[in-house]
Amino acid sequence: MTAATAQPELIASDEDELPNFVAKKKLGFGFWLAITWLIVIIGAAVLAPVLPLKDPDQNFVQFEEKENPITGKLTESPVQPPYSPSSTHIFGTDQDARDMLSRTIYGARVSLVVGFAAIAFGMIVGGTLGMIAGFIGGWFDRIVSFLFLCLLSFPALVLAILITALIDRSLFTIALTLGILAIAPVGRLARAQTLVFAEREFVTAARTIGAKNSRILIRELLPNVLIPMSALALLGMAVSIVAEGSLAFLGLSIEKGSTWGKLILTGSGISDLDKAPWIAFTPIIFLFLTVVALNFAGDRLRDYFDVREITV
Amino acid sequence: MKYWLQRLGMMIALLIAVSMLTFGAMSFLGDPLFNILGPIAGDTENPENVAKVQAAKEQYYLDKPVPERYVRWAGDFITGDFGVQFSTDGQPPVSDLVKERLPRTIQLTVMAQILALGIAIPWGVLSASRANSLTDRASTMTAFGFVSLPQFALGIILLYVFGIKLDLLPDTYNATDPFWGFTHGHRLIQLILPAFTLALPAASTYQRLLRTDLITTLQEDFVLMARAKGMSRRKVLFGHALRPSMFSVLTVFGITAGALIGGALIVETIFRIPGVGLAIVEAILREDFPVVLALVMIVTTAFLVLNVLVDLLYSVLDPRVRR
Amino acid sequence: MAVNTPLLEVENFNVGFKTERGLAKAVDGVSFVLNRGETLGIVGESGSGKSVLNRGIMGLIASSRVVETGSVIFDGVQLANQDRQDLWGKRISMIFQDPMTSLNPVMKIGKQINEPIRKHLGFSKSQATERAIELLTSVGIPEPARRISQYPHEMSGGMRQRVMIAIAMSGEPEMMVADEPTTALDVTVQKYILDLLRQVQLDRGMAMTLITHDLGVARGRTDQIMVMYGGRIMEHAETEALFANMRHPYTEALLASIPRLAHAKHTRLSPIPGAPPDIVEPPPGCRFAPRCRYAQQQCITESPAVIDDNGHRYACFYPVGTDENAEALATNQARGETATGLKIGPAPSKTDNDGENG
Repeated sequence: MTAATAQPELIASDEDELPNFVAKKKLGFGFWLAITWLIVIIGAAVLAPVLPLKDPDQNFVQFEEKENPITGKLTESPVQPPYSPSSTHIFGTDQDARDMLSRTIYGARVSLVVGFAAIAFGMIVGGTLGMIAGFIGGWFDRIVSFLFLCLLSFPALVLAILITALIDRSLFTIALTLGILAIAPVGRLARAQTLVFAEREFVTAARTIGAKNSRILIRELLPNVLIPMSALALLGMAVSIVAEGSLAFLGLSIEKGSTWGKLILTGSGISDLDKAPWIAFTPIIFLFLTVVALNFAGDRLRDYFDVREITV
Repeated sequence: MKYWLQRLGMMIALLIAVSMLTFGAMSFLGDPLFNILGPIAGDTENPENVAKVQAAKEQYYLDKPVPERYVRWAGDFITGDFGVQFSTDGQPPVSDLVKERLPRTIQLTVMAQILALGIAIPWGVLSASRANSLTDRASTMTAFGFVSLPQFALGIILLYVFGIKLDLLPDTYNATDPFWGFTHGHRLIQLILPAFTLALPAASTYQRLLRTDLITTLQEDFVLMARAKGMSRRKVLFGHALRPSMFSVLTVFGITAGALIGGALIVETIFRIPGVGLAIVEAILREDFPVVLALVMIVTTAFLVLNVLVDLLYSVLDPRVRR
Repeated sequence: MAVNTPLLEVENFNVGFKTERGLAKAVDGVSFVLNRGETLGIVGESGSGKSVLNRGIMGLIASSRVVETGSVIFDGVQLANQDRQDLWGKRISMIFQDPMTSLNPVMKIGKQINEPIRKHLGFSKSQATERAIELLTSVGIPEPARRISQYPHEMSGGMRQRVMIAIAMSGEPEMMVADEPTTALDVTVQKYILDLLRQVQLDRGMAMTLITHDLGVARGRTDQIMVMYGGRIMEHAETEALFANMRHPYTEALLASIPRLAHAKHTRLSPIPGAPPDIVEPPPGCRFAPRCRYAQQQCITESPAVIDDNGHRYACFYPVGTDENAEALATNQARGETATGLKIGPAPSKTDNDGENG
């Protein structure tokens, strides 16, 4: 390490900062790439039944000709699955000879729905509570803030397991559970944003002309709080999808139908990983790309709107 | 002083709220009598069994209303009596399970945090001192990837690459092996892959925060001053700029401490480490509520205590915030 | 060590910053010689290039966006475009403008002084602490033994600047660069710090460059003064000679713009009209012409060369105190504006006109 290369970064002058600062205010190519992937995967999930995909539940057992050791005749006998990726199954098959690509795309349906429903629930409940708490303050604010803190100090995954154990493991319950987990982080941001905007001139102006509280909340504050929250929605959806995957991985997610987490679980045994890594890695790749896309798009949006305090 | 008293009051209030929530939820879950006695708990005919049921009810206060049971439990818990494991034969005390499981999880998480900081600090310093260079951009992308990779997926990838294909590190954990030592037969080595699975995403989060803060610090006058004093580049970065740039990392360290137990749960599942995480899942599924309660309370207390420590560390890092 | 032998020789030194519009010439063809044990005052408004000049000499602004040319010889060694890291703190020290931000807020004062002592003098920790206490005593800090375990925020601005001076002295350097050391301080402590600096400099036989925007600060605390404008030298002379025989209109204007305690209470100050020049695309003539009340056609088209009049250097076609100067002013007053279009009063009062240069 020579000093000559050391100096430029250490002793940057003020002018160095200006161009970067200006450049930050663009969403950029990466953002649109991420959005493209999200559109592709959501489109594939929605249109899965009409797309030329193989039936995700069909067993595509392959046969080969073998010489019967006793009679010496050639007979057709089934080959032990899983089958490695080939032109018929580009991502291979699982242990029951089912096509991994179609299973992964059908799995996306559940994973995406759960992720979306969870964050939507969190936004509606947490957002409303947080905004009202931030707006009216006082004892209501204190109680709501304390509830948020309780939810945050509880180990999230443990709470999820507790709730699913308590009710059942249907799609609805899982989405609800993850939605409950999203309440506190969303609520805290909504409250903080409301506090910021409640001080602004346009709110004061609305008050002085005698606008009702409900009108100020909905017409003046909501649009301003909603914009930065869109970034949190994307990040939160990523968190929910991962959380569902984690539950599934522990064998505690939805009982019927496949999700990415469950698919990964089926391929994650040490011998399966060794002999047929594609079973676990196909859903991992789809999950990873989706989560990266959501995180990246959310991150860019957050920079774009310059939201400082986000707690996910 | 007043501040710390408030903190303490808040902590106690939180612990009470969390314990009530857990206690309430667990009371709705099935009948613990089945856990204790097995199928005979449902027997209302055989007088011998009915007597046993009655005895068990009285012993564990199961015939009392939920609020009373909560108060009894809380009283015992404060004095260090965690109750007994309903679902294990002979009903051994929960503290036995805690003593067996907790050290393993502590070993795992402490190792993971040391690794995370050990990776994140040099990595963040490198990135910030070459801000916007190719190295920096590549490392920002890498960090982003790790943050977006779910824990279980990362665990599987590490297991596949280092445990199976390259066969460098042990892929299973054996609770009976000795801890200290450097062969596959020692738990220190067996914990490397699990600890990395926990550490890499955390390290990436820390790296991102440290990089941002450090870039800001490097614009400060006192950094230029330190250079002009003749301090070497390394000394300026690590001795002068690093410490005032650690605040965000510290804050997030506190916040993610809770997420760590979730991570530990996943990692313990993948690598089959019988720790607290696995114990909680097992206990919930077996509806063994004294165990669930004790473990949830331990985890929550640890989280709250860690956050108080984080608060104390702020004043160590920055003398200006000393109260 | 012999005084009056050159320590720092700067020859045709240029510093340019690459910008989107082109190269911004912050320092343009500066030459001077600084002898051992002497103090050079560098005076100019903000943006005159005085700070960049000093950081350029120190080698503290090297970056891919900076272009440095010319020669900087320190104690017989060519420094230009060389790594000067091993000189910092040991042979050349620097005192920064703002003591509030230039000390590390999370490091004890003692450690901040010890660091360079241990590095440059090879002292042990306890020796270094002892030396640190001596240094703090010598800059007039009461209870130094207690102060070394304090943090910067526990001290006042004046105290902190004294600590900075102690740090700058710690490596026993031959030269000190003081970059507007009192700008950020209370008026009441400014004089004390400046006198302390001069005292330290004389006691230790260090050479010093004192950068300031205040000619009055430089007076009495320097051996020579260099007045800069738009990255160029306007006037450079021994301090006494400069004040006795001010030649450049900019120096004159600079002095008139500063409040003097000696002045009557209601004397009007004469701020210099206009703003510092564009250094990316500077006008072809004299840099100061657009703001100069003597400016003539020649000043717009031609750049005046530096004239060396027995060691008194200045760059002006119409130097103050000459007949040409008086004629130029009369011409401008007659038409109500200068050749560059600067409006000037048609009938200025006698006293104002004579100003400080009588």
